[in-house]
Amino acid sequence: MAEEATQHPPAPQAPSGPPRRDRRDGPPGGGPPRRGKRQFFRKKKVCRFCTDKVDFIDYKKVEMLQPFVQERGKILPRRMTGTCSKHQRWLGVAIKRARNIALLSFSGNR
Amino acid sequence: MEERLYDLIFICRPDTPEEEINKITATLEHEVTERGGKMEKTEKWGTRKLAYRVAKQREGFYVYLSLRSTQGELIKELERRLKVSDPVIKYLTVRLDEEIKRQQKLVKRRERRSARRPRKSAPPAAASGGQTTAAAS
Repeated sequence: MAEEATQHPPAPQAPSGPPRRDRRDGPPGGGPPRRGKRQFFRKKKVCRFCTDKVDFIDYKKVEMLQPFVQERGKILPRRMTGTCSKHQRWLGVAIKRARNIALLSFSGNR
Repeated sequence: MEERLYDLIFICRPDTPEEEINKITATLEHEVTERGGKMEKTEKWGTRKLAYRVAKQREGFYVYLSLRSTQGELIKELERRLKVSDPVIKYLTVRLDEEIKRQQKLVKRRERRSARRPRKSAPPAAASGGQTTAAAS
């Protein structure tokens, strides 16, 4: 028992050492992932309409709507364009109106 | 009923003579004024490429009208006329007064905020001044 007990403490210490070292190495080692995260969040997209202070998205201005539509005619999601929820809502309405009067296509370029 | 603002766009076949398009717009405008509406704008956008095929056409002549009316019946009549007229291949009426109202509201709010901003920046400075005086005493 005693032998086991004596044996055990060093055993945990020995393994605990390396992990601690790992943890100590972690912060510098953790640096790269953090940098990676920073890379992810580096580009904080700002709503284009908010910066321009647009209060009304006109469905008649196709050139304005075109950048928010995929090649296939899909409305680009907010996470791609960085549009705020308010403007995304208005944008959706505007795009749908433009589609109705054949200014924008429902499905790609035909 | 309060006055409403409408946008009316219609598309004619590209091969229709200009006179006929003028005739259609004239009859619509006449109808609007006769029924107590007001014409705000009339724009001819000309032949444009359609985003998709409409009535086997790839191009269309766009005409844009902006009008004010207190009667919803007027819009019904205008749309009926567009439906009946042969050269018109597509039309769209959109009510815009509520959005314009919302826009004006936002503009007003922004103006108010921009007016407030200098005032907001002033109080913190005064507070910090008070703290320094308290520390000194």
